[in-house]
Amino acid sequence: MIPRRAVSAVLPAVLLAAAVAFPFWADRAQPYYLQIAINIAIFAVLALSWDLLARTGQLSLAHAAFYGLGAYASAMLTLRARVPVPVAILAGGVFAVALAAGLGVLTLRLRGIYFAIATLAFSETLRVITNQLRFTGAATGLVVPPLLGGARVAQYLVILAVLLLMVLVSWLVNRSRWHFAFTAIRANEEVAASMGVDVVRYKVLAFMISAFFAGVAGAYYGHVFLFISPIEVYSLAVSVGALVAPIFGGLYTTLGPVIGAIVLRAGEEVLRSTIGGGYLIIYGLILAAVILYMPRGLLGIWAAIVGRRRPS
Amino acid sequence: MLRSGLYSLAAVGLALSVGVIGIVNFAHGEFLMLGAYLGYWLYVSYGIDPVAAIPLGAAAVFALGAVVYRSAIQRVLRAPELNQMLLTFGVSIFLQNLAIILWSGDPRVASVSYKAQAVSVGPFTVGLPQLVVFAIAMTLTLGLYTVLGRTRIGKAMRAVAQNRLGAGLIGIEVERVYLLAFGISTALAGMAGLMITLQLSVSPFIGLLYTLKAFAIIVIAGLGNINGVIYASLVLGLSEAVVEFYVPQGGGWSEGVFFLLILLVLVVRPRGLFR
Repeated sequence: MIPRRAVSAVLPAVLLAAAVAFPFWADRAQPYYLQIAINIAIFAVLALSWDLLARTGQLSLAHAAFYGLGAYASAMLTLRARVPVPVAILAGGVFAVALAAGLGVLTLRLRGIYFAIATLAFSETLRVITNQLRFTGAATGLVVPPLLGGARVAQYLVILAVLLLMVLVSWLVNRSRWHFAFTAIRANEEVAASMGVDVVRYKVLAFMISAFFAGVAGAYYGHVFLFISPIEVYSLAVSVGALVAPIFGGLYTTLGPVIGAIVLRAGEEVLRSTIGGGYLIIYGLILAAVILYMPRGLLGIWAAIVGRRRPS
Repeated sequence: MLRSGLYSLAAVGLALSVGVIGIVNFAHGEFLMLGAYLGYWLYVSYGIDPVAAIPLGAAAVFALGAVVYRSAIQRVLRAPELNQMLLTFGVSIFLQNLAIILWSGDPRVASVSYKAQAVSVGPFTVGLPQLVVFAIAMTLTLGLYTVLGRTRIGKAMRAVAQNRLGAGLIGIEVERVYLLAFGISTALAGMAGLMITLQLSVSPFIGLLYTLKAFAIIVIAGLGNINGVIYASLVLGLSEAVVEFYVPQGGGWSEGVFFLLILLVLVVRPRGLFR
């Protein structure tokens, strides 16, 4: 029997080594897999950023807004101001943060369903605006310069680094006093406030951190797939994906959203080739099934299996 | 302005579901979309006019709504609000993509014989289908108000909406009222869908648009406020028309009007304008 502590220390290191080594193999053997891995990593960053915000009880349907704004800001900066791509991607995140600060303050008072509707409205408004302005290429979209000259392996390592940073942030949040603040706010805002939690500060901060990573993910997406359009980066599918992955994997955890993202994206890849157009149907089914039958997601099921085998 | 009629028909069902059951149904527009497809197929296959198909369409969508209620909604009535929302969101994604798989994503148009006809009402000239839709939608919406105000079942619904426990105590079968309210709510959406067949094209994607517009309306009216829906629909319909008319390239911009209205109302006056 291997001691548990050793497993929990070695396993992440092994996984990390595999994730870093993966592209060097895939680039030669299966470039298509590398593409999928990049997709999964983008998705995982987005999902985890959504979960971070959800931990404060703010269920956002606006992650497409930050994703899209990041993509557009970065694209415009490289195209119009000749800013180097890596700098522009970071700037995309910063733009999203600025936007989130504004939106966060506006929607502070809104709870639950009102918050969700307001964020959805916000995200769709951005899409309509981008669709209309000639400045942003309107409905036609923009052709975007590649990151690092289009070297796939290097690109993969970049998004892997972003994902690791996001995981680190999420892990730190869940290990620190923030965790208690977030949970208290989620459970009951008034009580949290009366216990001395600075509700406004935490909510807006969570919003800004979440938006930064969503913005970077969107910006990165543009510079890797080289084309963005309003209907794509601001699409509801982005927001839906961002919330289904954490719910499926396990809410309010670091591991859950990442696992959810991996399983969903990989499954999506299979479905897309088998049933084509309506492959999103699986998101609908999963969402309904998780809510009805497995409220804690995949991690919850895992915990139940482990718990049964080893009664404590 | 005439589209306000359609809007109010689409929104009043959602308001009913929110007001009586307390469920914000993200799949509302999908029932509308299914109603629209039903209208399309009935017209194309059997030549049944969408107006004549109203009773049949309403019954069919009512049945579907009842199935969805029994199999999904009923289980989350006491769950946290967010779970309810996510569940209906899942149903919405499911139905939309089912429609894409079954009927492809291409828009379809049913050309009824009087589609291009116009009539003069006072100084204005309006399309006949638009006028018919407005008249029917208003009749149905006002009909719902009458049902809620005058009949036993309507009174039961209002009682349940006010106080679930109290209504149960005086002998109202709350579960049945919920089922009925949800069924009627979806049937209203289905009928609005039939009306869409009459004047616009049908595609799997129209559902979300109408869900959102219906949301805008009930938010403007105040969540759960059924009586404010007509006024709120007028506000939305008129503001869209104003934008389309006065802003250059207004057709595209008007798509954003309802979102802006939602944002404004939620931020400035979250309880709604009409209460």
